[in-house]
Amino acid sequence: MMIEIRNLHKSFGALEVLKGIDVSLDKGKVLVIIGPSGSGKTTLLRCMNLLETPDQGTIKLSDRSLDFQKGRKVSSKEVTELRKRTGMVFQSYNLFPHKTVIENVMEAQITVQKKSKEDARKSSQELLAKVGLGDRGNSYPHQLSGGQQQRVGIARAMAVEPDVLLFDEPTSALDPELVSEVLKVIKQLAIEGRTMVIVTHEMKFAADVADHVLLMDGGYIIEQGHPKDVLNNPQSDRAKQFLNRLTGEDI
Amino acid sequence: MSDREIQIIIDSFWPLLRAGLLYTLPLAISSFILGLILAVLSALARISGVPILSAISRFYVWIIRGTPLLVQLFIIFYGLPSVGIILPEFIAALIGFSLSVGAYGSEIVRAAIQSISKGQWEAGYSLGMTRSQTLRRIILPQASRVSVPPLANSFIGLVKDTSLAASITYIEMFRKSQEIVARTYEPLVLYMEAAVIYLIFTSILSFFQNKLEKRLGRSSAD
Ligand SMILES: Nc1ncnc2c1ncn2[C@@H]1O[C@H](COP(=O)(O)OP(=O)(O)O)[C@@H](O)[C@H]1O
Ligand SMILES: [Mg+2]
Repeated sequence: MMIEIRNLHKSFGALEVLKGIDVSLDKGKVLVIIGPSGSGKTTLLRCMNLLETPDQGTIKLSDRSLDFQKGRKVSSKEVTELRKRTGMVFQSYNLFPHKTVIENVMEAQITVQKKSKEDARKSSQELLAKVGLGDRGNSYPHQLSGGQQQRVGIARAMAVEPDVLLFDEPTSALDPELVSEVLKVIKQLAIEGRTMVIVTHEMKFAADVADHVLLMDGGYIIEQGHPKDVLNNPQSDRAKQFLNRLTGEDI
Repeated sequence: MSDREIQIIIDSFWPLLRAGLLYTLPLAISSFILGLILAVLSALARISGVPILSAISRFYVWIIRGTPLLVQLFIIFYGLPSVGIILPEFIAALIGFSLSVGAYGSEIVRAAIQSISKGQWEAGYSLGMTRSQTLRRIILPQASRVSVPPLANSFIGLVKDTSLAASITYIEMFRKSQEIVARTYEPLVLYMEAAVIYLIFTSILSFFQNKLEKRLGRSSAD
């Protein structure tokens, strides 16, 4: 098991956003999380690399397991160790604007993995080639299109060789014509057997790439299973409502 | 204007400019460098999340910004000898101006750090970078660009403020003009001349400030 999350709770003040979430995912599998806005998808993803600290529950990622209880602090060393096992791709890219494209990818290899500059440059160049940007290493992020920036974001997330890649709506800030170039890269990673957790509203893509789909609503998982079952044949009314509305929008 | 006045202007120009180049500017530059170090340390202490450090930083900024620079200089130069601390005028001026630059700069640097989006911190963290790595390699380089224009302004202000050092007997450009006035009894002519040389200094600095801002603006334009 690559990811094992048990009974995860998270509140912001009085607002409970995750109300007991359980997730399991095998190595090499792709988990897609869908659900209406505000249902807690981003928060769940951010709990997985501890950008948010859960109030309660257990997160096991690869060979690391962390137990959370309200009022108990996790050491920053444990946090960093868990983060090294994940790579995050942000909705708004969050590239480092003062660094070139290749420096964006090299950064963590140098500071976190302590690679030499030459080694970092070499492997970053390979990663950029992989996302189709082998010739843009010396550009600055603002000189690239949104789709290209997000592909840099993916290369950067892979730079520390994480066990799990996390994507938070990686294409929703993009112009429609730029979406497919990013999805293609993610699809390729899925084919190569990367373990990934993807929050997305792209239903066709979800059906195509997912091994397992989670449908969240109001801080709960209200439906999960094989993409065919969840997307085409949902059980609960809430899930049917959500999916109908989405397919309506798609047309 | 009489021939005598014109002759005084001509005769004083080099001594004044010399004092400006050899005493005013070095004082401004060295205070600015020390002040910047203080400013960054103070800003980092302020955002450290460590209550005692943050309190020290706030206290420092409060005291320095809340009291006149001239009074601070008098305390350092004329006051401290009463407790056995006797400082040469240059050192006293250097301390006074550095503390001042540090306090105002602290707020500039802090605002610049806080202007960098939370997403930049999170991108660093998500890669497994520590807080200090993220601060050093991701946040501060961006914040330093943001703070260049306001810091350049404070440097130009500082060049003018160094004239306050005349009051603690440091012979910079303004003090020099006072000395010449004492000999020639031509206050209007000489103080005007000193003002013109300050104006030349600040205009040249503004010119470079504009160039620098344009360059930074170009490379970080989205
Ligand atoms: N840092 C935060 N502080 C307070 N409330 C938050 C914070 N982050 C998210 N929320 C709230 O938590 C709920 C779930 O948010 P989110 O996980 O972003 O949902 P989703 O990604 O499914 O749209 C929303 O009501 C949102 O306003
Ligand atoms: Mg979201």
